[in-house]
Amino acid sequence: MLTAHSVAISIVSSIIHPPPTALTSQSISSCLPKLIPGSKTRRRTEKARVFTQSPTLAVLSDPHVLLLAETLEDSLQSSSSAPLPPLQKLRDISAQSLLLTPWPSRKDEPFRFTDTSFIKNSHIEPISPSKSRSLASLPVLSDTLLPLNVTILDGYVVDSLSQLSELPDGVFVGGLSSITSEATMKRVSECVPNFQGDLFWLLNGVGAPDIIVIYVPEGCRVESPLHLKYFSLKGSEKDSKTLPISNPRVLVLVEKGGEIGIVEEYTGVDGTDMCYWANSVMEIVIGNGAKVSHSYIQTQSLGAAHIKWTSVRQESTSIYELTEVSTGGKLSRHNLHVQQVGPETVTELSTFHLSIGDQIQDLHSKLVLDHPRGVSRQLHKCIVAHSLGQAVFDGNVQVNRDAQQTDAGQLTRSLLLKPRATVNVKPNLQIIADDVKCSHGAAISDLEDDQLFYFQARGIDIEAARKALIISFAAEVIGRFPNTSVQKKVEGLIRKLLDPTIPSG
Amino acid sequence: MALFTPNLSFNTFTYNSSLFTLPATRRRFIRCPRSLKLRASLAVDSPSTSATGRGGAAELLLEVKDLSAVITESKQPVLKGVNLTVREGEVHAVMGKNGSGKSTFVKVLVGHPDYEITGGSITYKGQDLLEMEPEERAVAGMFMSFQSPVEIPGVSNIDFLNMAYNARRRKLGQPELGPIEFYGYIAPKLELVNMKVDLLNRNVNEGFSGGEKKRNEILQLVVLGADLAILDEIDSGLDVDALRDVAKAVNGLLTPKNSVLMITHYLRLLEFIAPTYIHIMENGRIVKTGDISIAKVLEKEGYKAISGT
Repeated sequence: MLTAHSVAISIVSSIIHPPPTALTSQSISSCLPKLIPGSKTRRRTEKARVFTQSPTLAVLSDPHVLLLAETLEDSLQSSSSAPLPPLQKLRDISAQSLLLTPWPSRKDEPFRFTDTSFIKNSHIEPISPSKSRSLASLPVLSDTLLPLNVTILDGYVVDSLSQLSELPDGVFVGGLSSITSEATMKRVSECVPNFQGDLFWLLNGVGAPDIIVIYVPEGCRVESPLHLKYFSLKGSEKDSKTLPISNPRVLVLVEKGGEIGIVEEYTGVDGTDMCYWANSVMEIVIGNGAKVSHSYIQTQSLGAAHIKWTSVRQESTSIYELTEVSTGGKLSRHNLHVQQVGPETVTELSTFHLSIGDQIQDLHSKLVLDHPRGVSRQLHKCIVAHSLGQAVFDGNVQVNRDAQQTDAGQLTRSLLLKPRATVNVKPNLQIIADDVKCSHGAAISDLEDDQLFYFQARGIDIEAARKALIISFAAEVIGRFPNTSVQKKVEGLIRKLLDPTIPSG
Repeated sequence: MALFTPNLSFNTFTYNSSLFTLPATRRRFIRCPRSLKLRASLAVDSPSTSATGRGGAAELLLEVKDLSAVITESKQPVLKGVNLTVREGEVHAVMGKNGSGKSTFVKVLVGHPDYEITGGSITYKGQDLLEMEPEERAVAGMFMSFQSPVEIPGVSNIDFLNMAYNARRRKLGQPELGPIEFYGYIAPKLELVNMKVDLLNRNVNEGFSGGEKKRNEILQLVVLGADLAILDEIDSGLDVDALRDVAKAVNGLLTPKNSVLMITHYLRLLEFIAPTYIHIMENGRIVKTGDISIAKVLEKEGYKAISGT
């Protein structure tokens, strides 16, 4: 029963929201004693570093953040060649911003319900690329769900485990250094970065070893979806308070009229309780009339931290479709930012989060509409099936002054299956344009009694009925994966998680 | 006209009773409805003399005694002493004004959690029905077609039917059918209710039209079978053709062994599925019982003509 759950909901709708309470430089300098950056007392190398350059700024910095940024930077210094211009630009921009970015606390609106102290209190260890291990022997890596695939181990692309031979001409998939076309490199430079996010986005910018580029030229349709298989091989024992970090970064650039399907899948390999931190960023730029359908599956180990950014820029009449299923991680957060940069865009977001254990599943989505006649549909569903489980949804839709005749719909549904299971939902629409059609809805419940009774009335016992209804709740989102083998795989996975006794598949 | 008070037991009018000179199978009634009247008046004129003690008498299927029930949430009384006896092979129709308790009555029969029994008893096949869970009632052969069947997004119609069918097979100690075998079993049944195959792959009732929902209920009845089929306003929202299909399917299921209890507002349904008895419900009680002639009076003059005593 609903009343048995402790439900914390805050629903803010159709209002203009105050900006998050970010600390400005004035306020912090006037009320805080001068901080001495932690880096100052640490070992120095003769190489010039961003983090030691400007002491005036450093004064305002969060020593914990600086330390972490330095660690990441150190780990990359060891690699021989100088980074290519787009990566260098990304690192510089990120490093500059990090100086002013404190570690988020529960007092910051975007982190009000999401406690990141699990990461903050852990020792963060950058992972260097694995060399000698015979990787192909890992059975999980030889899984080829789709003919086009790229394996990314701990943030590094492994060419020997990737299959790209069926890519159409002109389509490029690979690291920056493999780009041979000058024109492509130029486009990449223009597009990186397309956005600036929070602390985690910036840490990825500093720590990413490379930018994995997916480039689809004008008018090119890639028929088969491209499977990005992210594995976290390196992990620490539970309670070791150490998190090996990986910072995979991908840029998807689809030119005018192009079309591609991307399947991102994040998995941990060894055991289910390994601890690590995957801090991933994907930037997507969709040209005029182009289309990206993005499938995102997150099944990390239950000891992992998984922070993911997806930032999308949509030019006119482009289509972006996201289907997400996230079940893994102790702390999992997806920050999704979609920016409309031309009229008549179509954006469809369908997401399903499952908290089966003591874990947080968080979706922070923001959709900014600045041009007329955009259409957006968002469906977010989550199930919390553990009394220590938590789900968070903050879904912001901004319909700005020029976005007339926008048609924006948002719906979120949450199922709480255990006493004390928690969900925090904050759907919020900010509408400034006056000629728009916007809708939103939020429902939090146990299973519907009427539906349960219908099963019973046909002779199906209540436990079997509950299982069928829980699976069906998730099936609405799973059914939206465009690829049927992906659909089947995820459905089997969800069945297994919700009831280990149901045979998967 | 021939009217009964509800607490009169019906155990005298059975098809097998030698008193009835007219062959009294139900199919007979469908072909020539007029015989019903005759048979009913015969029955009135001939009180219980023969059936008792006769080996050929139809078995008691359902016996409801002084049943009272309230709405679980508000404790508001809805049923205030219902009496009804259904024997094998009989067709009963319950009519009554909106809010008289008809739907509540049948929901209580199948164990709907919205209602709480406050008195009386229900015996089904000699067992205390009130002790049985809804799913136990269903596998024991009780089937209710819902007035407004709920939509179940994400569960396909065929999977749902397969689950329900297997639940019954388990109960009967028969092996369960896999999806492919089950499809082979169900495909011919679709014709019986004039339903398209693609409805099997759609989610249960999701986006179905009113008529499709009703046909789907009857499909479930046809697939699962029932000793006591309870049809709650199966005729509402159906056009004549659909109604004929539904009635044909129901009639096709009738044997001397199984029974139907239906709720309706209209004479029309009763022309297709001929009732053995018609009961009028008012304010939580069955106030009149009789034959088809009651329905005809109703149709002409409304409930005023019948209410009271």
